[in-house]
Parts: sequence; structure tokens; C-alpha cells
Amino acid sequence: MTPCAEIDSGPADVIQTPHFGQIGWDRTAELFLPGGLPGFEDERRMIPVEIPAHRPLVFLQSIERPDVCFVSLPVRTVLPGYELHLTEDDRAALGLDETRDPEIGTDVLCLALLLPHGGSVEVNLDAPIVINLHNSRCVQSISPSTLSGYYRLNHGGAWEAAC
Amino acid sequence: MLILRRRVGEAIIVAGDVEIEIIEISRTRVKLGITAPRGVAVTRREAAAIASENHTAAGLLKTGVLETDLVGLLANISTKMAKTDRAAADM
Repeated sequence: MTPCAEIDSGPADVIQTPHFGQIGWDRTAELFLPGGLPGFEDERRMIPVEIPAHRPLVFLQSIERPDVCFVSLPVRTVLPGYELHLTEDDRAALGLDETRDPEIGTDVLCLALLLPHGGSVEVNLDAPIVINLHNSRCVQSISPSTLSGYYRLNHGGAWEAAC
Repeated sequence: MLILRRRVGEAIIVAGDVEIEIIEISRTRVKLGITAPRGVAVTRREAAAIASENHTAAGLLKTGVLETDLVGLLANISTKMAKTDRAAADM
């Protein structure tokens, strides 16, 4: 993964955020989203933020809108056998080679956004955030099939499929 | 529902200024080229559903959920992951 942002440091760029206070980052840490995210089409630049106490969470902080921040975690922490299926459009947006499937962890980082659900959270594995680790391009890869990839965190700390 | 038959290179016009052209047809897919004014949002149907979900996701931190038991549960996941990694490394 590209270097994450640092809180309260003084690198090249700095923003004030409501959740983390001041964040500074180096340009090499930025993610570029060619089409933004559905519902956030104008958010083209984000920085991944990791906080040791909250690992394995990855916070995706918008650079253009400090109030916009997503909470995510690697899809394989939810479903260890998760396999990524990218559309041709996603591959093109990510600048990926069409001749082979990208490997999670080596070629791409695959994150699931956390959604509030009651007092807990759920994720939709049919719409992961995919980051090309070689060029920092990023898309939300949305499966055109029926949406059935929801998993909820139960009170025992395990993920279970949400029917 | 209006149903039209078109060939590659042909197009349809919607609302006077949105043009949808058939670029390519394969056995199971159709590639479309869409020309629309800047203010017209063009999105895949499945992405439209995700837009609403993303707005919900962006509100997670505002719910204060990370200050609840969730952090403990996630730490539990983290610990399980570390154990799994160690077990894999030992194999």
C-alpha cells in the first residue's frame, strides 16, 4: 500500500479534518479516483489514513471535502477466500493489464466500506474499493449481479452473511 | 417500455440532447457510447444503488460508532488475523 497519511505531521500538504484534526501527507500517498465514487463523483483525490489503535481499519479521507471520510477494511479480513472480479471498465480505469487477473495485496488493495447497522456495522463485498498499488488509481468496483455480498459484524466479533 | 432495434454505429436520442450510440456488439455484451450535457448524470443501474449506500457509509464516523464496542470487536478480528498469519507461516 502507498504510504499512509500522518496525523499532526508537517509534510507537503495539510488539511484540517473534523475526525482526525490536522492531517499532513506526501503527494505520493494520494489516491486518484478517475470517476470519484457513486454519490461522490467530485471526490477525485483521497488519502488513506491508518491509526494503529484501529487496525485493520483504513480511513479514506477526501482531500477536497474534509468532512467526507469513509471507514474501510481489507475484504479478506471479512472473507478470507474473497476473489476479485473486475469489469473491463474497472480495469481500464485502474490502468490494469487485461491479460491477467490482479492479485490482492500484490497488485491491488481491496477494501470494503463499513456501513452502520444498528449498533454494529456491515460491509458490501459486491462493491469494494480497489486501489492499484502500482499507480494509486482507485475505483469502486460494483458487481452488476444481484447485490448479495452483505456481511455483518456480530456481537461475537465475527462476520456473518446478511440474508 | 420502449424497445428499439439498432445496429453498430446507429444511435438513439433521449430528451433531445442525450445521444446513445451502439459502439460494439459481442456475443454477450454491448458497448455503448453516451454523449450528454455536463449536468446530466449517467450511471450504471447498480452504481445508482451504491450511491445511496456510500452516503450512509460516509456518515459512519458521525454516528460515533468507533467509540463503541465496535473497536473491541475489530481488535478481536485483528488478533484473529495475526493468529491466522502466524499459523500460515508455521505451515
